[in-house]
Amino acid sequence: MKILVVEDEKKVASFLKKGLEQEYYTVDVTYDGKAGLDLSLTENYDLIILDIMLPLLDGITLLREIRNAKLDVPVLMLTAKDSTEDKVQGLDSGADDYLAKPFALEELLARVRALIRRKDKVKNILLTADDLTLDTQTHKVKRGDNDINLTPKEYAILEYLLRNKNHVISRMKLTEHVYEYQFDPDTNVIDVYINKLRNKIDKDSDRLLLHTIRGIGYMIKEGR
Amino acid sequence: MYDRIKLFVKSTRFKTAIWYSLVFLILEIVMGSIIYFYLRNSLYAQLDLSLTKQCELIYHFVSEKSIDLYEFKPDSIYSSPDELVYDLAFEAVALNPHNTFIQVRYKDKIIFKTENLRGYHTTLSDSSSQSQLIKTFSNRNLSPHEIRAAVLNKNGYQIVTAFPVVLINDALNSLSDLYIIIAPVFFLISVIGGTFISIKSLSRIDSIIDRTKYITARNLEEKISGDEFDDEYGRLAKTMNEMITRIKKSIEYMNQFSISAAHELKTPLTILRGEIELALRSKMTPDEYKEVLQSNLDETLRLINIVDKLFFISKTDHSLIKINKEKTELNNFVASLVESMKKVAEEKNINLKYHSNQKIYAEIDIGLMNQVIYNLIENAIKFSDECKEVEIRIDKYNINKASISVTNEGEYIPIELHKKIFERFFRLDSSRNRGTGGAGLGLSVVKSIVEMHGGEIEVESTTSGLTTFIIKI
Repeated sequence: MKILVVEDEKKVASFLKKGLEQEYYTVDVTYDGKAGLDLSLTENYDLIILDIMLPLLDGITLLREIRNAKLDVPVLMLTAKDSTEDKVQGLDSGADDYLAKPFALEELLARVRALIRRKDKVKNILLTADDLTLDTQTHKVKRGDNDINLTPKEYAILEYLLRNKNHVISRMKLTEHVYEYQFDPDTNVIDVYINKLRNKIDKDSDRLLLHTIRGIGYMIKEGR
Repeated sequence: MYDRIKLFVKSTRFKTAIWYSLVFLILEIVMGSIIYFYLRNSLYAQLDLSLTKQCELIYHFVSEKSIDLYEFKPDSIYSSPDELVYDLAFEAVALNPHNTFIQVRYKDKIIFKTENLRGYHTTLSDSSSQSQLIKTFSNRNLSPHEIRAAVLNKNGYQIVTAFPVVLINDALNSLSDLYIIIAPVFFLISVIGGTFISIKSLSRIDSIIDRTKYITARNLEEKISGDEFDDEYGRLAKTMNEMITRIKKSIEYMNQFSISAAHELKTPLTILRGEIELALRSKMTPDEYKEVLQSNLDETLRLINIVDKLFFISKTDHSLIKINKEKTELNNFVASLVESMKKVAEEKNINLKYHSNQKIYAEIDIGLMNQVIYNLIENAIKFSDECKEVEIRIDKYNINKASISVTNEGEYIPIELHKKIFERFFRLDSSRNRGTGGAGLGLSVVKSIVEMHGGEIEVESTTSGLTTFIIKI
């Protein structure tokens, strides 16, 4: 799951990024409205966290631009203003949720989960493939009855593959999805993570789930 | 009900109507009295004139013939002096339309009395020797009314003509009767008319009152109607509308101020809360915890700084700052400040350059001016590009003024923002971007202090990025 944080206050952006990364999200951060708009139009985000008071381009205008471009990515507005009119204005411009500063980090994380869940429509909290389960809320991964401990990156890769199980995901797409946008997709870091992940989920099982499709990418395939 | 009556009695409308009617009543009384006395006097004057004229006429006729009326002897024509006098004064006596009392005396003898006096033993006598006079007397036998008499004493003759004032009294009485009936009617009309007029004119006051009651801080865009008229009410409405506009402006200003203040306070609070919550929910190394604490401390200091500045601004708004000016040598004062800021400048590899070639004195409050210079140099460092110079100069300006200028090399400030940067909470976009952490209050505080000193502050900026703040004091 990839999230864009547009917030001009660097320290706020920084703890948001850290908090979200602890929840296994991939987080891009930008400090002004123009860069925020460029990124939201070019990159593929699962959620945007947007401050209203931004340099160069304010959050409301940014949001309108995004909606004009027919992007339906969920947007969570953050702002220091918490009057009813401000909330109404924010929601009317196309925000999906609204949080007034200073907010509780736990509440923000819960709202982020809710927004992403809503976007998934199926409301799939539990992703499965054979006896492999991944709980998107608690971030617990199990193979059969055995708990599997994953690093945030491994988790993000597995979650994305599970959501698209039985489909081949190109290395490029996978990289885009789990890495911040500055990441150079030519490196083979993704292969390293795939190997580590395969070791963790397929090692003790006779049925292999994570497959490498040579020259194309990777997929989770349910056996049988 | 009682309250409403009480309110009505207290109302200007009621008072106006009452005053109006009272004045009208007084006018009515004065007018009535004037008419009454004028009429009375002129009637008396007329009566007196006609009685006097008659006297004179009789005297003229009687004395003309020079008959010795005193030694009158009855003869074949006249059996008494009466008859003789009657003949003599026939014109004056016979044409006596109002039946005037007439008596003619010659020396101590009454030589003529009119018919209407004969049955009575009454004589109209006057002992005074005045040749001509008018008097009033009562005689029940002659008339129930007072009697007005004209007396003429001349050459031994005394001629008295008299007439009861009955006609005058009748005329005056009917006038008063008429007056007694008409006055209350007029009074009533004036009360009703007065009330009507005052209700009509004051109803606009009522509409102003109703409208004003309805206007609160929430609907200050509402206007009091009727300000298009040029009369007093129109001017009242207009003045109140202007006042409402002023109140609206200052409320908007205050709202904007508190919103901005809250926003500035919320940013460090958000950081504090977020970082603490993040630290509590995750395991960290002691160094990482230390880092969080350091950041928390920074934010706390930022909060304190914002609160201090807000407090200062609110004090200047209420003119609570006391300024203690003393003659100070600016050279040493600024030089020591520049020295103390060199460390801050070194962090960005900035060289602080200080220029001054003469001793310059100025009347300043050292504590406050310290804040000004500190703020300007701090800003200059903050907005300077790295490895550049910040130059501080002191020069003479005019004869007894000094100018202190702080120049840095950084971003060009467009001329349309030169005023705005001194406004509260104003921050350049680039300042937000840099995360320099200001609240947009520093320059507004600087400007307040400089103006308190009776000085002025200006900014100059070149497109090449040289920006100078100049204080003239």
